[in-house]
Amino acid sequence: MSARSFRSVFMVASCAGAALGCYLVSLRVASERSQLEDVESRIVLAQRDMRVLQTEIGTRGRLDQLERWNVRVLALSAPAANQFVSGGYELAKLTRTQPTVDFQAPVVMASAPAPVHTPAPIGQESRDDAGAPTATTTVEPESPRALLHQASLKIETREVPAQTRPAVRPPAARTSPDKPVAAATPAHKKSVDKPGLAAAKPVTKPVRLAKNDPLAPLPGKPSRKTAKDPGSAR
Amino acid sequence: MNAPSPALVAPRPERLRLVGQRRQILAVMHQRLMFGLLVYGGVIAIIVLRILWLAAFGDHAGRKEELTALIPERGDIVDRDGQPLARTIDAWTIAVHPTKVIGDKLALARSLAKLMPEQSEEQYFAMLRSGKPFFYLRRRASPALVEAVNALGEPGLAIEREADRLYPQTTLAAHVLGFTDIDGHGAAGAERAFDKYLSDPATRGQPLVLSISSGVQQALQHELQDAMTHFSAIGAAGVVMDVHTGEVLAMTSLPSMNPNVPGAATPDQMFNRATLGVFELGSTFKPFTLAMAMDSGTVSGPAEIMNCPDVLPAYGHLVHDTHPFGRRCSIAEVMMESSNIGMAQIADKLGKERQKAWLKKMGFLDKAQIELKEIGRPLTPGSRWGPFETMTIGFGQGIAVAPLQLAMGYATLFDGGIYHPPTILKIGPGHPLPPGRRVFTADTSYRMRSLLRLVVMKGTGRKADAPGYRVGGKTGTAQKLINGRYSNTINLTSFAGVFPMDDPRYVIVVMLDEPKATKETFGFTTAGWNVAPVVSKTVSRIAPMLGVAPDMNREPNMSEVLPYVQDAKQDAKKD
Repeated sequence: MSARSFRSVFMVASCAGAALGCYLVSLRVASERSQLEDVESRIVLAQRDMRVLQTEIGTRGRLDQLERWNVRVLALSAPAANQFVSGGYELAKLTRTQPTVDFQAPVVMASAPAPVHTPAPIGQESRDDAGAPTATTTVEPESPRALLHQASLKIETREVPAQTRPAVRPPAARTSPDKPVAAATPAHKKSVDKPGLAAAKPVTKPVRLAKNDPLAPLPGKPSRKTAKDPGSAR
Repeated sequence: MNAPSPALVAPRPERLRLVGQRRQILAVMHQRLMFGLLVYGGVIAIIVLRILWLAAFGDHAGRKEELTALIPERGDIVDRDGQPLARTIDAWTIAVHPTKVIGDKLALARSLAKLMPEQSEEQYFAMLRSGKPFFYLRRRASPALVEAVNALGEPGLAIEREADRLYPQTTLAAHVLGFTDIDGHGAAGAERAFDKYLSDPATRGQPLVLSISSGVQQALQHELQDAMTHFSAIGAAGVVMDVHTGEVLAMTSLPSMNPNVPGAATPDQMFNRATLGVFELGSTFKPFTLAMAMDSGTVSGPAEIMNCPDVLPAYGHLVHDTHPFGRRCSIAEVMMESSNIGMAQIADKLGKERQKAWLKKMGFLDKAQIELKEIGRPLTPGSRWGPFETMTIGFGQGIAVAPLQLAMGYATLFDGGIYHPPTILKIGPGHPLPPGRRVFTADTSYRMRSLLRLVVMKGTGRKADAPGYRVGGKTGTAQKLINGRYSNTINLTSFAGVFPMDDPRYVIVVMLDEPKATKETFGFTTAGWNVAPVVSKTVSRIAPMLGVAPDMNREPNMSEVLPYVQDAKQDAKKD
């Protein structure tokens, strides 16, 4: 009976609840939309700022101005027809170095000692580069230190050592006979080698370094002087 | 049973009256209450309905409608690569309301004169005392000045932001772009021609894309300005055009103007020599005459031999050559050495009617069909067009066209003979290539290539050659008409070139108005000495930008002309 009498009240309450719920949804949507619009307007403002900055940069770096700088300072000119390459092959051709022959270099006889057969370690089959098992093998240089010594510029005269052991020279050593003279007199262009220059006074003043810290308090002085220091510095 | 009769228990009359009154008063009160209730209920209902309406459909309070899209006050103009050429910016404007000034007017006038010295103290003071409501003091003021004026603290000074047109590249392509008036409407150039597009809110969000290329324009403008200064010319014009589409890649007219301050430009600077000015362009017309004759069949080709005397008497006049052959010569030689006598004879064979029909077909008798409004009407002999005029038109005197039209003619001749109207808009999705119209046969177009290349290789245009770019073209030196007579000393020199000649892609036309002789030109003022080097320099700069690769091993088919040329003369003085 009570339920029947309160029926209208329930109806009104549920209607009101539904309306309120709808309203809350709408409110939520509206607030989301307003946030979105806020972001959008910020984007537009940022775009406008970018546009202003781009315009300013474009105006300051206008072609007319660049041309003026070019005429006055840079003096760049249009590339000539022979400065263009038509493809990768031509580009690669440009970097090829021309071998120069030094006619004053002493004749260096090529020496290729016969390869020495060394037995492979027991239990290990010796292999050549291709990986095929081979009976003969080339001997490696004794150590990297020996290689370094051969390529060094400090060797005074280059004599062909009667090398018997290394059958194949390392690449660094192989290029060295091309310019033996340059390798033999490495320091002939240095100014120190010239007697006049060596005797001349140095151009720059010798740098004198303080023996001890000049800002440190002097030893043996009473401490009241150091207390006065800020005042005297003023 | 014993119910009392009403009459017996009737109340006292005063009481009865009282009851009646109370009832009446109660009824009135109920009525009033009900009315008030209805009114309140109505008001509340209206408010509730309004709130519901707003909640459902209304906008919220913080909405900023004007900021949801970035649409400028006036559309941008950009070049074909998207570089901005014209933009609308917010500029500061300083103004004064003299009636609202509260401070000391004399002191204010003094400080204004100190900040903006373009007017004197007295003028500012007169302005402040005039009683008029409003004066502009400075438009497009710098931020530093605005700050200083603001620091004066005078409420009568108005500092506002105002949309203003800015041309970031200043003088670059000034005549193509034009400028706007004080109200922001286009007053010249593209600003005027596309005013509707640029100011319509529906379209102005999209920039207007011109066919101009900034780099090409800058190169042309700079080289031409250099030559104009060097040869003390009074003016110059230049056009670079795409042969296949008719797009104008660069167009300049010198002396130039700064569209940012159009008020400072003189009429001479505002004058667009490339489209509005019409000039007798001289020998640059000769290739057209030869192409007409070859297409009409009156001349067989470069191999034809004709008589080239020192002086040609014709219709009561004498036609001269600067370097006469004095012998029989081939058509190739006539073209190479730019012989007036030879070309006059070719034009005479062609005849007036056919010449007129050809010129009409090429568009030389009408205004150029370009979007700009500053278009000059070509000048022709009109009713005086007789056989001698036909001859002079044959070598380019007696007909005056704009340099743009000359470029258009060369583009037609070297696009296989097909005419495309010139345009300053980029050909693309929004602006498709209009269908062309055949003027010359493809064969004539092909045979003209080697002839014009010959002019640059061995003839008068040798200084126009840009190594590797196969430039072909024709020099033109026209005598200027001064007070009704052709002057012997004052010239108008031009060069119309096409590159690369083995597969023509671009036309370049340059013109110098009244160049003077210098030491390097040995006293000559002909085109081979002053404008041809401009073409060489410009082409070497712009061709790499335009994607034309230099190639020293390619040439047009020179075997068509070289056998018909006797030993080449060693000078390029002639035209």
